[in-house]
Amino acid sequence: MNWKALVVIFVVLFVVGLAVRPVEGPAWDELREREPSLRLADLEDALGQGVTVGLLGGFRAIVADLLWIRTNVIWEQQETAVIPATETMIRLVTTIDPRPVYFWLNGARMIAYDMSVWRVREAGDYGNIPDAAVRRYHDEQAETAIRLLERAREFHPDRPEILIEIANIYLRRMENEEKAAEYYRIAAEMEGAPPYAARIHAEILRRMGEYEQAYEWLKELYATLDPGNPAHQKQVVLGRIRELEDTLDVPLIQRFQP
Amino acid sequence: MSKVVFSPARINIIAKNTFLEAVRQKFFGFLVIIALGIILSSQVFRDFNFGAPELKFIADFGFGAIVLFGSVLAIVATAQLFFSEIENKTAITILAKPIFRSEFIFGKFLGVSLLLLVFTGMMTVILSVLLFWRETAIMEGVDPEAFEAGRMVAYGDIFLYGIVQWLKFSILCGITMVVASFSNTNLYSVILSFVILLICHLQYLARDAWAQMEFLPVQLAVFMLSAVFPNFQLFNIGDQIALGESIPFELGARIIGYALIYIIVFNLLAVFSFRKREI
Repeated sequence: MNWKALVVIFVVLFVVGLAVRPVEGPAWDELREREPSLRLADLEDALGQGVTVGLLGGFRAIVADLLWIRTNVIWEQQETAVIPATETMIRLVTTIDPRPVYFWLNGARMIAYDMSVWRVREAGDYGNIPDAAVRRYHDEQAETAIRLLERAREFHPDRPEILIEIANIYLRRMENEEKAAEYYRIAAEMEGAPPYAARIHAEILRRMGEYEQAYEWLKELYATLDPGNPAHQKQVVLGRIRELEDTLDVPLIQRFQP
Repeated sequence: MSKVVFSPARINIIAKNTFLEAVRQKFFGFLVIIALGIILSSQVFRDFNFGAPELKFIADFGFGAIVLFGSVLAIVATAQLFFSEIENKTAITILAKPIFRSEFIFGKFLGVSLLLLVFTGMMTVILSVLLFWRETAIMEGVDPEAFEAGRMVAYGDIFLYGIVQWLKFSILCGITMVVASFSNTNLYSVILSFVILLICHLQYLARDAWAQMEFLPVQLAVFMLSAVFPNFQLFNIGDQIALGESIPFELGARIIGYALIYIIVFNLLAVFSFRKREI
């Protein structure tokens, strides 16, 4: 091998590599903006995400699908011994193909709702162990699931389903109404959010005793609802507005006029 | 005695012979059958699909097959066709005639590039036909409401994807040509080219990460790495197309321009290296 020639080749490629940056740079920036899996915030992400994206290319989808089937096979054993393996598989699947929201949502549900139950069962089951222990298992699993979903938000910043899932976990598993209300509100304000997110936000505010806030929120919401769309439940919203007016003793003259 | 001048006609003859020799190889036929099988089997694998709509899954799968088998073909065919001339001593016969080494390299490159165009073109057409057939079936039967605005698949962009991949394979052919020009065996060329392909696919990590390095020598090494190798992720526009987004003209033009620059550079480097080689 001619080493001098090799050095010349490297030097030429280095110079060309720098010279083509004005052509490549804007295209690469745009491509990365469009493709979430190419947006790598730090080195840790880069080593996992980047290598799989780089190597698997178009086969990411099928590899992730097959690994998802494997994840479900492990998950079906429903015992604490498979928690680390199931969590690892969920991380692997979402690393290989972070594009489908399906993997993130269902992975988070497995972690938050199923694994917490497995842990409680192994410790002696509901009713047999102290509430504090149950609370701890629920909280730990919920936090892991929320971490997964927060990571999902990096890839899907415009998908309200992820925020609704976080809100659901705060509400159902951690019984943290304040956080749940906050996430339902953020989700409800996003484009394409299901109408129920806004209604649940108001309902949680009402349960927390924040009647004024719930009342104002529902009045604003009502104006945006389509009477022809059954999912918008316009009459239900009006009914709740009336209930809150009763609770708040709003004088008849000041009541909301649809 | 008249002076021999650089001749596109001689390049054309070498390119034609290279192409015909490549097409006759069993390896090409084998790869075509495997790639076609993979693309068509996406209909079977879609039953295992959880995360994506059917058309996106088929497109994704087809793009994967084109990239994988196209890359294998670009490296193996280039190395084989280059070394067959040297091992059979036909290179000596050819180069003893008034043929420049640059003409030999350019001819070989064009022959393999034409082969890659045929391969990519065939696969793109098959994938488009498959997508059209499934899309028509879905439009008419399963979910007509989803197609109120017309067809979802942008077939023009699928062909743009085919062109972009062909250009990437041509760069890979140029890289293999450079490697083959200084290496002694076919196997060494193939292995080293695959390693370079891997580096080019992961180059973007170095490109983004070098600034985060704290240790200066490592930072410089990673920066060098990011500058020396072309960024093959730039050609990865399949995700956007599979997701139903169209590729803006400027983005497509920049990618094509980037590819053409590297094709020229690698061909010139192969000529430079091959000139110094003893046959």
